[in-house]
Amino acid sequence: MTAPVMPEQPLDEALAADLAATSLSLARRFAAGATLWSLSPAWEPHANHIAVEFVHPVIVGKRALPAVALTGPDPVGLARASVRPGDVILAVATAGDPVVRSVMRRAPAWGTTTIWIGHGPRPPAGAADHVLWLDDPDPRTPVTGRFVLLYHLLWELTHVCLEHPGLLTEPEAGCDGEVCVTCSDEGRLGEVISEAPDGRTLVRTAAGQELVDTMLVAPVAPGDLVLVHAGTAISRIDEEGEAR
Amino acid sequence: MSADGTGFLYPFLGAAERDADSLLADLARSAREKAAESAALQRATIAEFGELVEKAAAEMAPRFAAGGRLYTFGNGGSSTDAAILAGLFARPPEGRPLPSWSLAADQAVLTALGNDVGFDLVFSRQLIAHSGESDIALAMSTSGGSADLLRALEEAKRRGLLTIGFAGYDGGRFATEGYVDFCFVVRSQSVHRIQESQAVLGYLLWAAVQRRLAEGEGSDERR
Repeated sequence: MTAPVMPEQPLDEALAADLAATSLSLARRFAAGATLWSLSPAWEPHANHIAVEFVHPVIVGKRALPAVALTGPDPVGLARASVRPGDVILAVATAGDPVVRSVMRRAPAWGTTTIWIGHGPRPPAGAADHVLWLDDPDPRTPVTGRFVLLYHLLWELTHVCLEHPGLLTEPEAGCDGEVCVTCSDEGRLGEVISEAPDGRTLVRTAAGQELVDTMLVAPVAPGDLVLVHAGTAISRIDEEGEAR
Repeated sequence: MSADGTGFLYPFLGAAERDADSLLADLARSAREKAAESAALQRATIAEFGELVEKAAAEMAPRFAAGGRLYTFGNGGSSTDAAILAGLFARPPEGRPLPSWSLAADQAVLTALGNDVGFDLVFSRQLIAHSGESDIALAMSTSGGSADLLRALEEAKRRGLLTIGFAGYDGGRFATEGYVDFCFVVRSQSVHRIQESQAVLGYLLWAAVQRRLAEGEGSDERR
């Protein structure tokens, strides 16, 4: 087997630009009070490494930032219970990881920003807010330091951004995709919590908990994803993230 | 910046935008420099230690063939790198799964020992409980000076285990104490770059052990 050494320049310009933009976004979220939640179902220690990197920096004098690894048998349930609107979820996984796909699909309903580090075939466009991807499908990629390099750099660049307080205010949210509040074209993503006594359904959205009418999409069960428009669930989102 | 020539109407916004752009350009440039540094250090590390990896693997393979286990341990980020390496041995993407685990994995054991006997003994006490002379102890550190790792390596050596140390900087006490059989020192002053090179060293060690086991090496010692 040949040595899986990194190419001479492991970061092409596009990935370096993605990393820079992700770092600024993460720094802005931290400045606004976010906690970073890391998960890596197939390689859990990567999630732990990310958490310790932010909580206990190797460079003396860098501030401790709140980061927690989501590990154990049910990272989706743990994330659902733990994350707060404005937080950031960072996954290290291939595009096919079912747990991470589930978390990424739900994240807009939880009001969280998402970052996805991985390798091989890419996740579909829009699967996460920030995708930091190594196209190399070599199964040795996760164990030869290349992911470690990516999150080390993410940590470092995030701290550089935090030294620029003037740039840490987030720009106004634009009009993009199905969560556009201004046009309300498609609706906002909601995750079903429970049936409410009045026959409506309690749903979690980025704005908080809302009572919505689910007659159009009934029956619904806790954990189902729906699109909410004007107090009504107008469609369901299936496992692949498609409205139906 | 607006492309339609109205940027002059919002000079403040334009200036703020330019600042973010210039920061982002700096960040991307810096990231590429560090990534190139990381790759160069990996190459230099492989060039320096490729032969030692083979020698260490030649000692490890017969131990695994004889039923031995690999214990990995480290502190902080290095403990997670040690856990990734243990996972590679135990649940490899290909080849033969081998008994290996990280001594930092069990929070009950770690906190019980840390609280009751002191943190310096959290790994050595586990080796006393678990290990036999066909086993292997692998410590991952950047400084090569952590007391808990040194105590564990010393205990491992006393009990006849094969001892392997990953360090950085000048190797610290991993390089000077007599109880590290194979010491791999990544020549860098950066904790991050050291860890990135240690990952590839660990991988190479695993690959060399797998190759030797596949070739039947040490199999006559199995029974």
